[in-house]
Amino acid sequence: MRRIVLFIAAAAFAFGGAHAFTLTVATTADAVSLTTHATNDQPSARVMKQIYDTLIVQTEELELEPGLAESWTQIDELTWEFNIRPGVVFHNGDPLTAADVAFTLNSLRNPEIAAPGAFILGFVEDVVVVDDLTVRVLTSAPFAPILAHLSHTATSVLNERVVTEAGEDYGTEVVVGTGPFRFVSWEIASQIVLERNPDWWGGEVLPERVVFRPIVEPSVRAIEVEAGAVDIAYGLELSPRDAMRARANPDLTMAETPTLSTTYVGFNAQKAPFDDVRVRQAINHAVDVEPMIDAILEGFGTAARGPISDMVFGANLDLEPYEYDPELARELLAEAGYPDGFSAMVWTNENPIRIQIAEIMQAQLAEVGINVDVQVLEWSTYLADTAAGAHDMFILGWVSVTGDADYGLYALFHSTQFGTAGNRTFWSHPRVDELLDLGRTEADPQVREAYYFEAQEIIAEEAPWVFLYLLLEVNALQNNVTGFVPHPAGHHRLYNVNKN
Amino acid sequence: MAATETQGVRRSRGARSWSSILRSSPRIAIGGAVLLVIAFAAVFADAISPYPPNQQNLRARLQPPSAEHILGTDHFGRDVLSRIIHGGRVSLQVGFIAVGIALAVGGVMGLLAAFYGRWVDSTVSFVVDVMLALPGFLLALAIVAALGPSLVNVMIAVGIAYIPQFARITRSAVLTVIEMDYVTAARAAGSRDNRIMLRHVVPNSLSPVIVQVTLSLAGAILSAAGLSFLGLGAQPPTAEWGSMLNAARGYIRDAHWAVTYPGVAIVITVLALNMFGDGLRDALDPRRID
Amino acid sequence: MLKYIFRRIILLIPILLGVTVIVFGIMFMTPGDPAILMLGENAPQAELEALRERLGLDQPAYVQYGLWLGRAVQLDFGRSIRSGRPVTREISARLPATLELALLATLLAIAVGVPLGVLSATRPNTAVDHAATVAAFGGLAMPVFWQGLILILLFALVLGWLPPSGRLGGWQYYVLPTITLGTSAIAAITRMTRATMLETLSQDYVRTARSKGLPERSIVYRHALRNALIPVVTVIGLQFGQLLSGAVITETIFSWPGIGRLAVDSIRAKDFPTVQGAVMVFAVMYAVVNLFTDVLYAYLDPRLKTRYS
Repeated sequence: MRRIVLFIAAAAFAFGGAHAFTLTVATTADAVSLTTHATNDQPSARVMKQIYDTLIVQTEELELEPGLAESWTQIDELTWEFNIRPGVVFHNGDPLTAADVAFTLNSLRNPEIAAPGAFILGFVEDVVVVDDLTVRVLTSAPFAPILAHLSHTATSVLNERVVTEAGEDYGTEVVVGTGPFRFVSWEIASQIVLERNPDWWGGEVLPERVVFRPIVEPSVRAIEVEAGAVDIAYGLELSPRDAMRARANPDLTMAETPTLSTTYVGFNAQKAPFDDVRVRQAINHAVDVEPMIDAILEGFGTAARGPISDMVFGANLDLEPYEYDPELARELLAEAGYPDGFSAMVWTNENPIRIQIAEIMQAQLAEVGINVDVQVLEWSTYLADTAAGAHDMFILGWVSVTGDADYGLYALFHSTQFGTAGNRTFWSHPRVDELLDLGRTEADPQVREAYYFEAQEIIAEEAPWVFLYLLLEVNALQNNVTGFVPHPAGHHRLYNVNKN
Repeated sequence: MAATETQGVRRSRGARSWSSILRSSPRIAIGGAVLLVIAFAAVFADAISPYPPNQQNLRARLQPPSAEHILGTDHFGRDVLSRIIHGGRVSLQVGFIAVGIALAVGGVMGLLAAFYGRWVDSTVSFVVDVMLALPGFLLALAIVAALGPSLVNVMIAVGIAYIPQFARITRSAVLTVIEMDYVTAARAAGSRDNRIMLRHVVPNSLSPVIVQVTLSLAGAILSAAGLSFLGLGAQPPTAEWGSMLNAARGYIRDAHWAVTYPGVAIVITVLALNMFGDGLRDALDPRRID
Repeated sequence: MLKYIFRRIILLIPILLGVTVIVFGIMFMTPGDPAILMLGENAPQAELEALRERLGLDQPAYVQYGLWLGRAVQLDFGRSIRSGRPVTREISARLPATLELALLATLLAIAVGVPLGVLSATRPNTAVDHAATVAAFGGLAMPVFWQGLILILLFALVLGWLPPSGRLGGWQYYVLPTITLGTSAIAAITRMTRATMLETLSQDYVRTARSKGLPERSIVYRHALRNALIPVVTVIGLQFGQLLSGAVITETIFSWPGIGRLAVDSIRAKDFPTVQGAVMVFAVMYAVVNLFTDVLYAYLDPRLKTRYS
């Protein structure tokens, strides 16, 4: 009996790499479009990651490795030269050339196209073709995190000819990349089917087919994977109770990863009483994050020590989260001239988890005499009104997608970024401005880190946010699925996933 | 003069007393009794609910029903029964105000259309046709999206979505009444339009409208719950049945009571309203067959 | 009759126009900005303005509507702001899913509602009658999403008989969404069948049949039911509008790729051309079903034929 089992196992192992299988993935929503010209949303990026490649590859450990760019050199402070990997072909057979790369990067920045991911290349002055396999990226100012930005899915390399010929149909009817899978079909709101690209430059692609199924209800997504109808279910942290059940289910394997996102409550630091640092600190002391993590996230999160996720390059791990101390909070409020507390609004969008945070915060702040009303706003109104500074407090999350502190801090705390650009607290600090500018231009990683450490110390002390938590991303797999490594940015690579 | 006319109308409906209606229609009796209980609970919510509805106790989350918490606790350790009792107040309020809006606007539209006919009628009928061509729930959803998610806006949106039905029913009820002799007589006697409308037409066309009110109340409560499901309903921490369901739906598998009981509350209320309204329709229908 | 149908179709045009005006008015009042939704949490002001310009959102509202209407009369409904697909493509990809679901739900409601109504009418004011009434109204009283989740839990997870969600071919995928959507339409059909059956059963020709000693079954099913069903047809038409409302939520729960979900998603994304397209499809479906039931009604009831000629 045992021998038979061993034999079967050996046979499975021997043929494991070659058997044809379809990998079905339950994802959180349908892709909007499969071109970077039209969208920069996560569900689309999750599919585009399989179809396209970027110049630089950011691994699951957030290391930056050669992608379509085989090598690169910094020629001077403002000029970077990239050598394109020779012999790469698009899914339609066209060879990849420097012209395609220049087209990709320049069209993303083109104001007429108004691509949602254009800000990723905000530092670029121009991209020029040197020869068939060489491009130069010229920056308007020294920009240290350039490689991390060129690994962002928004910079996925497009085929100039195909994009131009397909016109407005590109991204929904016609999709051509160089990546491990090629686009087969898209049944809107139902499924997207991809198939193996046998000629992929990056090596063997294991799944014969990948099917993405958008299942919006998180509980239903969990039920799909528990019932064995899909191989992988993404984003179970959106329904933490279901994530907990999946974890306890012996038929499922969990793939959990810390993410690059921080959830926080932002103050309006230019509006009384939040213009007083003691009030901001008092609220940080009055909010108890642990019960939120337990009650709302079922433990799928960790208390934030500062503004950026521990995984991000430049994160200051010496910071300590604010201690829950309602007594101290009351003292600070009294010092600031609010011995009896005050009334304020906390805003959130229609995200159920954020609404729950607001509810618990409401109860906790009442303990120190702060009377909070919760207001739920529609997402774009929420973004517009917080950018206009109409709020007292708001709950948001920030994902440092590039894995670099510049991305996680500059837009949120620099005084030039007030409003829609990202700084919705309207808080600024001359030294933080200086440090963020230095960090952006300094080439030496160690010196950069030092700048960012200091900036985070000031931010933590000055508390323009209530630092809440870092979310875990929770994916559930069938036990026969192997090789799935979740990416902290949420767009997981699937070419190496096997199914036995 | 008015008195005799009213009597005449009563007689035309078959002179059924309330006690005979209740005896012959268990639907009205049972539905009405259940509604009375619900209304009583809603009015005296503060006095009868065992706990404050928003009192959190994160250490007693998702407790199954027990002597302490008869219907268990929700994901914040709040008492489900207390929230259902207070939620009843909110849900009934949403229903009544929404239907009130629909009745006020739709009723006036229908009345004017039937009374004045001609271009007034064709204008109203056109507006009604246009509104009916939009699925009501979608219309309500778009309006809440426009006004912003809040309980008041849900009432307005659901109210607007129900306008065409009231306009239609009022119009046809009034058209029937207007043909009656006493209206013709009043017109011939030179009574002013609004006097005729208020004294003769409105009271005599009420019965189908009353039926529609009870049935629409049921629909409005369900629509509000549906909007809450899509995140467009009551603002937290307000206990409202739909938003209770919505907030707890992630816990349905291991704390079903937080989802089951608010759902049951909706089912019972809506069922009672429908039974009551349906019974009323039969009872008030002159062509009624027993 | 053809003339009548033709007139009804012509009358549909001003109604559709009215629908687009209402939808446009609501969308115009809706705060927020598709450009912000697309660009997200950190969008430099210049980029926002560039995108608004590309999407034509920088134009005054009436100009946007005028431009849209101008193209719509040439049957060009524009492209979705969100995905960039032609609106006609967004809709044609989803229309079959919604039509199937609505049709199956209607059939289910008839298949359950008519027998339930007959049962009630043949035993009026008995326990059977009351039970049937409660059952029918119970279906109407359940919140759609609540019912949907419970069905998924029971049939997909606990029993494992049916897939939890999706529409990937195969009859199994249709069962739960059809039940969820169909139950709410049962009540009206049951009540109408009961009422008309009661009326028919008390009529002279039925009395005559009874006095002739025909078996009760044959009286009920061969003679009375056929006549009683005529008014039920109109109820079915009216219910269809309600079904379309229910489809909005049913499709969300079951990941059903239909127009209801499209409408909700595009309202939330402020995708004006897509909302217009989806709502017009709803209006046309509603009108067509009502026209169909009116014609069927006239066909079934010869007394009415003259009115439509």
